[in-house]
Amino acid sequence: MPKAELQGALELLVLKSLRRGPNHGFAIASYIQQASDDVLRVEAGSLYPALHRMTEAGLISAGWQLTDAGRRARVYAITAKGRRKLDADGKRWQAVASAVARILRAT
Amino acid sequence: MWSRLVRTFRTGRHDADIEAELQFHLDMDVADGRSRREARLRLGNVARIHEETREAGILEWLDSVLRDIRFGLRQLRRTPGLSIAVVLSLAIGIGANTAIFSLVDAALVRPLPVTDPDSLRLVIWTSHAFPPGADNVNGEFRPIGGGRYQSAAIPAYVYRRLAGEQPANRPLIGFGAETDAVAIAADGRPAEQVRVQYVSANFFQALGAPPVYGRPFRDDDDRVGGEPVVVVSHRFWITQLGGRSNVLDGTVRVNTVAARIVGVAPPRFFGLRAGEWPDVFAPLAAKVAFQTNANPGEPRGEDDKNWWVRLIARMPPESSEAAATTELGARFRSLAVPDGINVTSADVPELSMRPGRHGVDGLNSQEADALWILMRLVGVVLLIVCVNVANLLLSRAVGRQRESAVRLALGAARSRLLRQHLLESALLALLGGIGGLLVGNVLALAIHQLFETGRDASNAFDLRLDPRVLAYTAGLSILTAVLFGLIPALRASRADLNDVLKAQAKAVTGGLPRLPRLLVSIQIALCLGALVAAGLLGRSLEKLRATDIGFDRHNLAYASVSPSRAGYRTDQIKTYVDRVTSELAHLPGVVRVSPVQTRLLAGGGNHASLNVPGRPYQPGVGANLNSVGEEFFETMGIPLLAGRVVRSADVHPDSEAVVVDELFVKQFFPDANPLGRRFGMGPNDSGRYEIVGVAANSRYNSLRDAAVPNFYMPYHPGGTVHFVIRTAMDASAMAETVRRTIAAVEATVPLTEFHTQSGLIDRQLRTERLLSFVSAAFGLIALMLAAIGLGGLLAYFIARRTSEIGVRIALGASAVDVISLVLRDSMSIVLTGILLGLPCAYAIGRSLRSTLFRLEPLDPLTAALSLAALLTVALAAAWVPARRAATISPIAALREE
Repeated sequence: MPKAELQGALELLVLKSLRRGPNHGFAIASYIQQASDDVLRVEAGSLYPALHRMTEAGLISAGWQLTDAGRRARVYAITAKGRRKLDADGKRWQAVASAVARILRAT
Repeated sequence: MWSRLVRTFRTGRHDADIEAELQFHLDMDVADGRSRREARLRLGNVARIHEETREAGILEWLDSVLRDIRFGLRQLRRTPGLSIAVVLSLAIGIGANTAIFSLVDAALVRPLPVTDPDSLRLVIWTSHAFPPGADNVNGEFRPIGGGRYQSAAIPAYVYRRLAGEQPANRPLIGFGAETDAVAIAADGRPAEQVRVQYVSANFFQALGAPPVYGRPFRDDDDRVGGEPVVVVSHRFWITQLGGRSNVLDGTVRVNTVAARIVGVAPPRFFGLRAGEWPDVFAPLAAKVAFQTNANPGEPRGEDDKNWWVRLIARMPPESSEAAATTELGARFRSLAVPDGINVTSADVPELSMRPGRHGVDGLNSQEADALWILMRLVGVVLLIVCVNVANLLLSRAVGRQRESAVRLALGAARSRLLRQHLLESALLALLGGIGGLLVGNVLALAIHQLFETGRDASNAFDLRLDPRVLAYTAGLSILTAVLFGLIPALRASRADLNDVLKAQAKAVTGGLPRLPRLLVSIQIALCLGALVAAGLLGRSLEKLRATDIGFDRHNLAYASVSPSRAGYRTDQIKTYVDRVTSELAHLPGVVRVSPVQTRLLAGGGNHASLNVPGRPYQPGVGANLNSVGEEFFETMGIPLLAGRVVRSADVHPDSEAVVVDELFVKQFFPDANPLGRRFGMGPNDSGRYEIVGVAANSRYNSLRDAAVPNFYMPYHPGGTVHFVIRTAMDASAMAETVRRTIAAVEATVPLTEFHTQSGLIDRQLRTERLLSFVSAAFGLIALMLAAIGLGGLLAYFIARRTSEIGVRIALGASAVDVISLVLRDSMSIVLTGILLGLPCAYAIGRSLRSTLFRLEPLDPLTAALSLAALLTVALAAAWVPARRAATISPIAALREE
């Protein structure tokens, strides 16, 4: 898959994880890893650039917060624009994914 | 947006954020039960992640800005006419301001081209009388009120004594209060007239402007009797000496004296007076050497009674300036009065210091005032431009309301829309600013040319796009972008889909929107101000030109020579003058010729305090004095009313015949026949001059000031000789013939100047002409912009009301009804503008008061003409769209619905 598509997939996953509520980068990565049953591992080297890019694009917002343990963490939240993108791209992604699956199943 | 800009260029803070975030990630991994090493391996190359993270954010932002710029450019291209109109009017507005500012900058703002100009102090003195022991004071000797006088010049020997005792860190620099004209010949070419600046030996080092080739002057150069040496200006070196590298130790002939070239001054170094470029620098003492065959009585360089050296001192910040001034002043007072003259201490001049950052004023106060007036006028023009552009953009923003509303409805942030619109304004301002620089450069050169008419070639301001001018233009562009961009941008970003949809219905009945109307009214108000200013300045110039000067200024010219510089003695000059007079008189086209000492209305001259028997002697009360040949009155066309003219035979050792004018008679001999009466000059002479003739009044050296009495002595040969020539045709056409004739009489005495009388008068009025010309141009621009503003607004308004007008026509409205509907509407805009503009025009008129000649700020004719021009143009501008409205076809209009 072209790089842009992969990037798009990562963004989609980040948006999806933030749909559940604001969270910091480590938690986002952990969520993606757990929810995909350890199939998808998000590298920090992809995750943080993506998070900053998405912040600038207005898909998510960022701010510093104190965690329960009393540490300063940069926490991201999904914006209205991000929500719309998740809805639209999510549908598109599903359509593409199921189409690809159909083709692979057909012999 | 600002924080992002800050982040792009000052990334420190942002870097720390990323650092902390990655550290947190690492710590969380460790908290999850992994070893620190494992966690670090899992995280990967921290530096790279850091870098990529930072770039991702910035790139995203830059990307969105670029997208906005691309979108903005596309928008501008979609309405090319409007964009071009905006950029052009911005270029004119910004260009006019850049032009005037670069003049102001060069003439009044820019510091001297020396090191640390802020530590320089001009030394001046004040006294309550002409200083005892002085015969001649150069250096702007003038009354300053309270019976005191001010000047800046002191004798050369006093300068050397003062400078010799100054501490090394506070050098005192001396320089001739005026540059002197000398004939200079280099490389065996014919002599040319150039300006020499006499300077002290420490001049170049103390100013921190050492010669680029050769050496500065040394103390032993400034000695009478030493070998004459000169430092040539960079320009002289390039233009006259071909920029040769072997120029050092070559010689030039100054007047009749050979002088060795020891250095070349730095490029762009003009000395201490902006706007004047001496061609040659020479030590103070060289004035004696170069002044070959001075006339008897002409002040000489080293004469104690000749005060001609000005001072500029360096005051390093650590020195106590007040104490230094007091000390210098005390030493000056002890030196200023020669021994043997008994004076009270109150008569001795007192020293004081002035900031010397700009050197000696390059412009007189009238010229400086003129520049500030122009600054204000271009400010008004720029305001008009801004209002005009704001209105143009506003109409476009209204047209784009649908776009804005849709974008808002789709979730675009208002700030993003605002940014989009401001960015478009900034693009326009950028283009306008670039255009403005071009326009400004051309305009500045043109205005400069106008400003310098009649001054000689060594006078020019150093006009260039220095960082200050560039910063000014850039600042102006940004300011205009905000001024004209903000209202439309706010308007557009506030767009509401509901409103926009409703607006479609509103347009059927609604009048013009209020804001654009008000903007056009403001434009008309400012335009009225500009017109009144142009009118007042123009009328003032006309009045000056129409002043009765007492003689016919047409077909009259002056040719000037300086035989004394070629070494002529007084008796030789007399023979020479007679020869040239007769040669010139025989030229075809020449009616009459006479030598004259002072050219009329050339700006200079001599005023004598008169001692009339039976009247108390008062210094300063007297008459202008001229020394003229026999044919002078006939040549000038000044009628002789009684008695006879004067000839050289009328000069006797202790008496002299003179002609006086009517004003002279009226003032000094009101109730007697003046013929045969005598008077004297100065306090001790009461009878040298005998009146033998009375001439009609004429203007001597000023059109502006009240007329002053004149009297005429027989011609005394000496100094610069002017020949006044009455011609049968256009006098300027004679220049070449006269030059050749004079060169044929004596090759060593070249023609130094040739001016027509009208040229001299124009030169005197150059400030007024400049003001009148430039303000008229700005007035026209303002009028054009106002017309465009009004016409554009009406056209837009009619386009929006097409269906309404169509319905009116369908219902039976005639073309006249429609036209009067549009005109009524536009006249209400214009009248509002005029009402707003009247106080504005009055304020502008008042600020011009000191510049106006026999004219009040509320000059009724000017006001009437300005209003008439404004109304005519406004009607014309409204007529075109009104006509178009009247021809709207109701069927087509209704089909559009």
